[in-house]
Amino acid sequence: MSTLQAHGDSLWLKARRKFRADRVGMAALVVVLVYAVAAAGVTLGLWAGDWAEVTGSKWAPASAEHWFGTNIIGQDIFARALYSTRTAFEVGVIVALGATALGALLGAVAGFYSATWVDEIVIWFMGVLDSVPFILLVAAIAYSLEGSPWAMHVAMIATFWITTARLVRGEVIKLKGLEFVEAAHAIGLGELTIIGRHIVPNTFHILLVQATISFVAAIKSEVILSFLGLGVKDGMSWGLMISESTYEVLAGFFNNFLAASVLMFGLVMAFNLFSDALQDALDPRTVTQSP
Amino acid sequence: MSATSEPLLQVRDLSVEFATDTGPVRAVDSISFTVARGETVALVGESGCGKTVTGLALLGLIPQPPGRVASGEILFAGQDLLRLPEPALRKRRGSEISMIFQEPMTALNPVFRIGSQMLDVLMRHQQLTRQQARAAAIEMLAKVGLPAPERRIDEYPHQLSGGMRQRVMIAMALSCGPQLLIADEPTTALDVTTQAQVMEQMVRLQDEFGMALILITHDLGVVAASCQRALVMYAGKIAETAPVATLFSQPRHPYTRGLLASIPRVRERRLERLPVIAGMVPDLRQLPEGCRFADRCPKARDYCRLAQPPLEPIGNAGTEVACYVPE
Amino acid sequence: MEILQYSLRKCVAGIPLVVGVTLISFLLIVYFGPDQTYSLLGKNPTAEEIAEVRSQLGYDRPFVARYLEYLREVVTLDFGNSVATDERVSRILARTIPVSVLLALPGFVLGNLLGVGLALLAAYFRGTWIDKLIMAFAAVGMSVSFLIAIIGFQIVLSSSDGLNLFPVRGWDTSTPWQYLRYVTVPTLATVFVALGYNTRFYRAVIVEEMTRDHVRTARAFGVPPARIFYRNILKNSMIPIVTRVVFSIPFIVISGSLLLESYFGIPGVGKVTYDAIVAGDQPVLKAVVALTAVLFVVAQLLTDICYRLVDPRVALR
Repeated sequence: MSTLQAHGDSLWLKARRKFRADRVGMAALVVVLVYAVAAAGVTLGLWAGDWAEVTGSKWAPASAEHWFGTNIIGQDIFARALYSTRTAFEVGVIVALGATALGALLGAVAGFYSATWVDEIVIWFMGVLDSVPFILLVAAIAYSLEGSPWAMHVAMIATFWITTARLVRGEVIKLKGLEFVEAAHAIGLGELTIIGRHIVPNTFHILLVQATISFVAAIKSEVILSFLGLGVKDGMSWGLMISESTYEVLAGFFNNFLAASVLMFGLVMAFNLFSDALQDALDPRTVTQSP
Repeated sequence: MSATSEPLLQVRDLSVEFATDTGPVRAVDSISFTVARGETVALVGESGCGKTVTGLALLGLIPQPPGRVASGEILFAGQDLLRLPEPALRKRRGSEISMIFQEPMTALNPVFRIGSQMLDVLMRHQQLTRQQARAAAIEMLAKVGLPAPERRIDEYPHQLSGGMRQRVMIAMALSCGPQLLIADEPTTALDVTTQAQVMEQMVRLQDEFGMALILITHDLGVVAASCQRALVMYAGKIAETAPVATLFSQPRHPYTRGLLASIPRVRERRLERLPVIAGMVPDLRQLPEGCRFADRCPKARDYCRLAQPPLEPIGNAGTEVACYVPE
Repeated sequence: MEILQYSLRKCVAGIPLVVGVTLISFLLIVYFGPDQTYSLLGKNPTAEEIAEVRSQLGYDRPFVARYLEYLREVVTLDFGNSVATDERVSRILARTIPVSVLLALPGFVLGNLLGVGLALLAAYFRGTWIDKLIMAFAAVGMSVSFLIAIIGFQIVLSSSDGLNLFPVRGWDTSTPWQYLRYVTVPTLATVFVALGYNTRFYRAVIVEEMTRDHVRTARAFGVPPARIFYRNILKNSMIPIVTRVVFSIPFIVISGSLLLESYFGIPGVGKVTYDAIVAGDQPVLKAVVALTAVLFVVAQLLTDICYRLVDPRVALR
């Protein structure tokens, strides 16, 4: 029974333990992984390849052949919904990576050079972008890029980076004042090295959580944007399916709407719960009861 | 030692547990002590030894999840505080037993004026009109040495310095004339000059009110200057208790000896290094069967690790020690 | 007097934001936007006609001049006429803004009142099944896309396959009863989604306040729980909560309404914006983006002032 061992686990070690004990979080993660596998399968061409083909009659009800029935043209709804999973992940991942990277970069720079003109400019820029409502910004960017399919991604990244940047900036300012930074200066490390190797890694827990939040926000926004015609242009997405279904619904045919809604809700809810569990696990103040 | 023979506070076998990721942890393990009326007792120890938790437990302020009082009795003027229903406890808090905390900067409500907060306490515990309460508050603020109390009473906490805020806390704590004041590291967050002033004021007021004081601290200098008796805690248990003079001149527990030896002093002969107690405080989640200090104790024997030594009187100077090989 | 000085100073500080914001909308919509020349010309235009229209539109002028011209339009609220309907843009806005406000108001008020109420309940009963239930409900609200909520409520409440209690689309404020009929379904959808976000945020704020030192002090002095909840927790929570509420106003009016109005066919600013997006109606887009952004800066200003009124710690100096 040695009392000479250092006892203090790192943030990540503790987080992993806490997360494993969080049943809801683990279940959510499993669901997310199932979706991810589905999306990967579509990309690899394993299934849903026939989403655009007319394989049945108009508005066929759910059957063994067409799990959710067919839409007004006769395309298999389930295949379309499955294909949309891939679109969702594509949008989510691109936006999450882009926004988090941009946010980390600008946030770290602003924080490190806080109270100088560099910081002022970044803050001004954040304030400006914050001031334009999201949909209008997307519309404006889509208008100016004349309907490029990347307008949506650009607009999302241009808006989502801000929260991450703010949090990173705050954390960097806090870290800057800590002694290990002084020590790094004292042994002659260059500024960029200090930022890149010592400060930014201490913000990874923030970045991880923010990335998951951006992912969810991207998927939800895509639905609305595609519905308005500003989103996905080629391919299929849940937003486009819902957009299609608006007339069908008034005629009493709900399968299209339900398929897209339920699938989307499943992924978003699971991801939200996963994100929550992640946050709780990384928060040093929360205590999970021992099993 | 005290005016009346009946002790004001009697703590018996108090244990406080906290739930953690890896199971329940006992921050305070079966401790017992008494405090006489008007006595000044120091509760001394390193960070994490359980002294603050003890203080909180006395007033029933342990946050219920994740903490809980696992066992024991706290007899205050004959009544077991642990068995009292919450409303009865509330009546005593601030009026018969008061507590002040370490961090004066955040102890007061930032959106209400000082006066408002003080009057709330005064009018709640005593049947006073608003004017009477205000006059009493101003008088109390003057007593703790706050300049221009009639003006300060209408100010917000952020308009006062740390030292002033702590004085306000003391004024509030004493305003209803409690029999016992628990002060948890009241001067640690203040600068040295203010520390001395605030301690001096507290002790003077204590005399004036005939109040008992439990001073929770890790500063042995303050203990020597202001306290009559000291309880040394280690890893959730009491290692030694003694009148202060005896504690310093004749420490019995190896831990106490180690503590006293490690105080930096101006010496005739210059030392190469400051003496320290080897090793570290044990992890409360993995406590040994026997004496908790055994691993760091220069005098530990085999039997020390078998069972925990009970707290027992030794000598005739009023010392009690929990050790199988006391000095 | 102090507040006036403070407001003035905040206004001045807001100018760079307004500049930035108008600059962005100018860049995106006018400068880098599609060439408007051909939409104003008839068939087979001559070179002279082209040149004339281009000059009219200002394409031959330097950047700064064009930007200043844009600013002038914003300040005088004169954006010309809509390309699609040829109505004066300022008149369109005057006509549609009140509608949007009437539409958004009940949802906004309810969403926040209920949000705070539920958050208080969840915080007070922290860790119990009540808390978990409320948070689960909030998680669902957050996970459902606004669009799906709208369609969902419409199907269930308004369509012939559902309860058929409310009109499917449209807008009529001639009598309070009619107003209620048309505003209910949109409001329900809004509240459902807003509650998700609001409750979570407000609960976090309240719980944060519950763990502050001064709450422990109050308990140590025997203050009863109800009073602590009001004086220590609630009053301190209100600062970030009120901030957020005021902050969210411009978004509710413009952003939220876009989807609602285009879906329910309600003639407000959102629908006009949507039509403008689809048709590429530049004057309208210019107006909406610029005005919303300026509105936002104003909201920030108001929030700051509100902050001062509620939190004595915020110095005016």
